[in-house]
Amino acid sequence: MTPGRLADGGAWIDRSKPVGFTFDGAELEGFEGDTLASALLANGVIGGFRSPILGRPRGIHAAGVEEPNAYAEISAPWFDPIAAATTVPLVDGLVARSRAGVGRLPEDPGSMATPRVAHRFVHVELLVVGGGASGRAAARAASEEGDRVLLIDEHPVLDAPPTGSDMTVLANATVLGVYDDGYAVVLERTADIVVWHVRAGRVVLATGAIERPIAFVGNDLPGVMLAGAAAAYVERYGVRPGERAAVFATNEQGLGVAGVLREAGVDVVRTVDARSEELVIEALGAERLERILVRTPGGDEAIDVDLLAVSGGWNPNLGLWRSIGGGLRYDDERATFVADDGPPWLSVEGQAAGDVPAGTPLWFVEHGDDAAKFVDLQRDQTVADIAEAVGGGLRSVEHVKRATYIGTAVDQGRTSGVLAAEIVSRLLGEAAGAQGPSNARPPYAPASYLALAGPTRGDLLDPIRTTPMHPWHVAHGAAFENVGQWKRPWFLPRDAEPMDRAVERECLAVRNAVGAMDASTLGKIEVVGADAPAFLDRMYTNRMSNLAVGSIRYGLMLGLDGMVLDDGVAMRLAEDRYLVTTTTGGAATVLDRFEEWLQTEWPDLRVYCTSVTEQWAVVAINGPRAREVVSATGTEVDVSREAFPFMTFRDGHVAGVPARLARVSFSGELAYELHVPAWHGLEVWEAVMAAGEPFGIEPYGTEAMHVLRAEKGYVIVGQDTDGSVTPHDLGMDWIVNLSKGDFIGRRSLRRSDLVRTDRKQLVGLLPDDARALLPEGAQLVVEDTGRIPMPLAGHVTSSYRSATFGRSFALAMLAGGHEMHGRTVFAPLPEGTLACTVTSPVPYDPDGERRDG
Amino acid sequence: MTARSPLAERSADLGRVGARELAFMSQLDVRVDPASATTLGFPTDPNTATSGGRDVLWLGPDEWLIVGVPGAARAIWDEMEASLAGLHRSVVDVSANRAVIELAGPSRHDLLSSACPIDLHPRSWGDGRCAQSVFGAAQVLLHEREGVTRLFVRPSLADYVVDLLLAVASA
Repeated sequence: MTPGRLADGGAWIDRSKPVGFTFDGAELEGFEGDTLASALLANGVIGGFRSPILGRPRGIHAAGVEEPNAYAEISAPWFDPIAAATTVPLVDGLVARSRAGVGRLPEDPGSMATPRVAHRFVHVELLVVGGGASGRAAARAASEEGDRVLLIDEHPVLDAPPTGSDMTVLANATVLGVYDDGYAVVLERTADIVVWHVRAGRVVLATGAIERPIAFVGNDLPGVMLAGAAAAYVERYGVRPGERAAVFATNEQGLGVAGVLREAGVDVVRTVDARSEELVIEALGAERLERILVRTPGGDEAIDVDLLAVSGGWNPNLGLWRSIGGGLRYDDERATFVADDGPPWLSVEGQAAGDVPAGTPLWFVEHGDDAAKFVDLQRDQTVADIAEAVGGGLRSVEHVKRATYIGTAVDQGRTSGVLAAEIVSRLLGEAAGAQGPSNARPPYAPASYLALAGPTRGDLLDPIRTTPMHPWHVAHGAAFENVGQWKRPWFLPRDAEPMDRAVERECLAVRNAVGAMDASTLGKIEVVGADAPAFLDRMYTNRMSNLAVGSIRYGLMLGLDGMVLDDGVAMRLAEDRYLVTTTTGGAATVLDRFEEWLQTEWPDLRVYCTSVTEQWAVVAINGPRAREVVSATGTEVDVSREAFPFMTFRDGHVAGVPARLARVSFSGELAYELHVPAWHGLEVWEAVMAAGEPFGIEPYGTEAMHVLRAEKGYVIVGQDTDGSVTPHDLGMDWIVNLSKGDFIGRRSLRRSDLVRTDRKQLVGLLPDDARALLPEGAQLVVEDTGRIPMPLAGHVTSSYRSATFGRSFALAMLAGGHEMHGRTVFAPLPEGTLACTVTSPVPYDPDGERRDG
Repeated sequence: MTARSPLAERSADLGRVGARELAFMSQLDVRVDPASATTLGFPTDPNTATSGGRDVLWLGPDEWLIVGVPGAARAIWDEMEASLAGLHRSVVDVSANRAVIELAGPSRHDLLSSACPIDLHPRSWGDGRCAQSVFGAAQVLLHEREGVTRLFVRPSLADYVVDLLLAVASA
């Protein structure tokens, strides 16, 4: 056990606070401030890891987020399928197990100990990424100017953290990504997770530099470590990473690590200075480093060591810089890439800005088997693999990346990227720096979906919208249907009856007595202003300007392409005021559309639009006894057939509550809608149900509503239409007023394709087998040839069993359907072909005799 | 039978995050050109509000929300219609269109910043400020007023907002 804890030292650990943890089943001890990696080294563990593809022994190679080898699964006190041991803060009770490159979820995901996750939004004038000397200086300077500053650092401890008013310093925090205009997402990781959404006026990247390895034979053995990491373990954690060491470096700083190690009592037996034509040509050992071979102008030496500290130079850490579009240029003196032009709000400081030691460029050692010189330790890719890709004709480092997967592992190629790029250039005979490393993209460090989701899980994944009458429906056992974010009552089973029985009962109640439905989710917009009539004439296909105050008109809205976009009714509240309704799903779209046309095309129109969707709760009462129910609920409004005609409304009261009563019907039956301020919705609903009891009132849901409207041949925009359907296709020419002036979609209606007679058109379908239910979406053919494929003529859009008709029926879009009434078409289905008779889409009460009761 | 405010059943939950519902507040959406609004004393600086017998919140260059005590909607409507008579304007009663949640306590801005992206730091947020934003996936209108923060939310989303407040308070 050669590595171990030093008797003293370690700036980042607190020796008074021992921390117990478990690694690969062994119970070990470290100190607060340790990472899992430093605590393992303190316990003499440097290896124990395996490479993911070749299964080679691997050890701790780095001291930060660039670690390619030492990955572990964390199972307590939180679960993380894979994390770099160099980035896991040691906490009491930590349970970790070595993992070879690929994380696995536990067989029972419920057993995962999930950390608590919070998200925070924060605004600062300056975000500094990196708590080293230059980052701290930038933070201090801005703070003294009065700026709000957020300084983040990936390490658990910062040296001399700056203080100041409105200065926030986060340790254990990593920027996942920097995005346009100073937006950054930061992952703060301790026992809990905090995801910070940062809006910064300026961002300073003081992200330091990442030491570069050198590819030589056996460079992946445990005990071969980046020189800066070896020094960091001594200085930060008071850990000796080996007993008998050599240093192999291309630069003064790397060679200087020998002094740090000696002071820690490590026997540094050799420094190998690449600038003096000395090279380590091979590292040897079975499970870990035992010996190195050094080639010098004077001959080869074999030296026994258990630690080789390697420095091939330093790469400014510019992953974030590049991910937001910052450029790079090659710096010959430093033999690396430095920042070039970037966004104005983004800058780099310190080592990240190129303040790294000069050195002689050395990417790989020529001697020996290229297949044993590892470039990307995490992907097990070697100089030979790059040579094979280049030999196969690849010229771009991006292509080589995709052929070898170099740089695509969890560590994102932090140690391998520049190395691979330069080896490619070298093999192609290009100048150093000809290509640059492959691009970097967020996230900078791995982040779990759990962290990114934050509280947005379970019932909070997407908002659930409910109406004022929702509690009543819950209490009465309703089944609910999702309509966008809304929960709408779907059907209300009684005594555990199945859905089709419940729907049948609800439909028959409406046809024979009376039913009530919560229609509150209808979109509602108040359109106000002197030009409101002219505006609505342009938005709808029919004329709204001549609608009388107190009256209601159905309207259809088209896209510019002439296709049906939405439908609803307009109520004229006053000369200059309308209330228009939209479909439940179309409310936001229609208001946006109104605003778009008013703001961009017709700013001269004096019209204001206000959403009042949720101002009003709506009870729809449908059925021959609806009038009696409204009367019994209590209203001063004369609801008689003569005084309150179809498609008019009255303002008054219902059940003692201010209400708007409207005679509109989506079932074909006598119907009233009661619009009441939303906070009265539940009480009015309950009043209607109580008043309706003597008349046999049944609450009904969206399924019965769909059946009832389909029996009447009323379409549902978005179910029977799909954005490719014109009013003519629906047989609704009656609502298109071509003489009133221009309206949206009018011009398109004359396009040759839209006047074809063989377009799909709305029809009714009656299966010859009255019990057979056509699946919605079923394709239709005119001739069942029995051979696949056969020419398709249309498709089923709505299909139900109708208690009213005593049989099944459907609505369909059928090519040339208007001319096909009475003919037979076929629906070839896996279980057999269904023959159907084409009918008018208005099979129920075609003369509308029932609407007035 | 009585009217039922959107969060009538959630007062205990609201209490756990230092909040309460202000039920049945009068709310009117007023659209008119800014010059006319100035004559009424409406705030014309973006995202500011005036308080008094009733609050006036700036929602946009030509849109304001007037907030008054319960039961005052009709009177405010009549008053606005009279004051703006002859002008191109729209006055719409939206009292039931939004539930009102009032958050008190010194940590309320931290709580809101868990799911609301706007800058609630005292440098840019304080008494008399209002803003339309989101809390999680719900549209909200925020109004900072005499040491409390009011959240105006669609009644259909009010339960979601309370559930999210509880979730972020315990995270």
